[in-house]
Amino acid sequence: MNKIWAIARKELAAYFQSPVAYILLIVTVSVFNIFFYVIIDNNQEATLRDVFKVMEFLFVFIVPLLTMKTFAEEKAAGTMEFLMTTPIRNSAIVLGKYLGSIIFFTLIILLTSIYYVIVEFFAAPDRAATLTGYLGIWLEGAMFIAIGLFISSLTRSQIVAAICSYIILFLLYFSLNFIQYTQGAAEAIVRYAATLSHAENFAVGLLTTADLAYYLSTILFCLVLTRISIENRLWR
Amino acid sequence: MIRTEKLNKFFGSTQALKGVSFEIQKGEIVGFLGRNGAGKTTLMRILTSYLPASSGAVTIDGKDVLKDSLAVRRKIGYLPETPPLYPNMTVRDYVRFAAQLKDVPAKGISAQVEKILDQCYLRKVAHRTISVLSKGYQQRVGIAQAIINDPQILILDEPTNGLDPVQIQRVRELIKNLEKDRTVIISTHILSEIEQIAQRVLIIKDGEIVADDALSNLLCDEQGWQQSLEEVFLRLSQ
Repeated sequence: MNKIWAIARKELAAYFQSPVAYILLIVTVSVFNIFFYVIIDNNQEATLRDVFKVMEFLFVFIVPLLTMKTFAEEKAAGTMEFLMTTPIRNSAIVLGKYLGSIIFFTLIILLTSIYYVIVEFFAAPDRAATLTGYLGIWLEGAMFIAIGLFISSLTRSQIVAAICSYIILFLLYFSLNFIQYTQGAAEAIVRYAATLSHAENFAVGLLTTADLAYYLSTILFCLVLTRISIENRLWR
Repeated sequence: MIRTEKLNKFFGSTQALKGVSFEIQKGEIVGFLGRNGAGKTTLMRILTSYLPASSGAVTIDGKDVLKDSLAVRRKIGYLPETPPLYPNMTVRDYVRFAAQLKDVPAKGISAQVEKILDQCYLRKVAHRTISVLSKGYQQRVGIAQAIINDPQILILDEPTNGLDPVQIQRVRELIKNLEKDRTVIISTHILSEIEQIAQRVLIIKDGEIVADDALSNLLCDEQGWQQSLEEVFLRLSQ
């Protein structure tokens, strides 16, 4: 556990040692602020439901920037050889890196909690729906990060990692738009894989086992794949 | 202590190691000598369990480097050819990070980090970011991470590569100070380095060991005449 935490702290520090973290935090929160104002002003409702939708959409753009360097940078710099020759399990390396990214992502989410405070101050929002909404966007981000981490473990190039992550996240996010072109089993698969099918439930206060299982199983699956990916030198 | 048996390593259709077998006893200082691409780095990566051999066996203290990988990695300090550094970390933070990963007991980490910083002459730059250090200092930071857990075996892959003569001298002095009670394997193609540091030399050519003997024996020809290591190396590696 100590080693996982050591790697997580190293990852977190690495975010803040480059301007990327600050730019991401400032740009993300500023964009969220604008949408929050516009949505509340237009809807005149004490709910963050539509704000969550915008946040989910923007995470498709933000998360690959967070995850692209996790493994690709280590591979390019040669520090992967250092990590892999220290007495640490490969799963601990993966979990440490995942934890570091999750903590940074959670920081972004926490900065948006001011919206809830504002809505609570002026009206009486549905607290349960707000909580599940936050849980939903957190789970979605956590899943995107797991996917980004896996993609980053496949390449030495951060640009390639970011582009491939964008492609996969876009497919997951927009796949419901293409549902009309599918039928039968394909339609069921696309509907299940689409993140929007699950995220919307959280935003309206609906917490289902199926949605939780979707996020948690995808996260676990991607982390296992990442572990296999960093071990691949053993079976080359 | 270290035993390899008929090691072969293929990268696709290229055979990087061909039936490499040797034994290294505790406390020996062994130099791997070979031209670029001879297979030295591949051999070191197999010894450190970073790469698997295609066939053959490697054991360290009787433990298989892949099956008992964690136990083996605890015994080894490894400096790869390019020092594995995080440029944005300070020297102290990096050495501490290495200590955390290498099972240095939590209570003793600070003391151990300071001890190693002194041992590697890094005290002056401990607070500085690694990216701003000279290549010589960066190499010493690489050595510091390798010895932070007092490993029984030290594997150094071209530790003076790309350094100026003064930096080379400092790194050599540092390595000499580390030899006590340790098994040291050092890979290089700089002959004077081997002459100054190693007791025993393995000359590797195209993935095969073409000589394995004490340095003093290698420097005598069959008639008992003294010969230079350069003559031996050129004769065996061409």
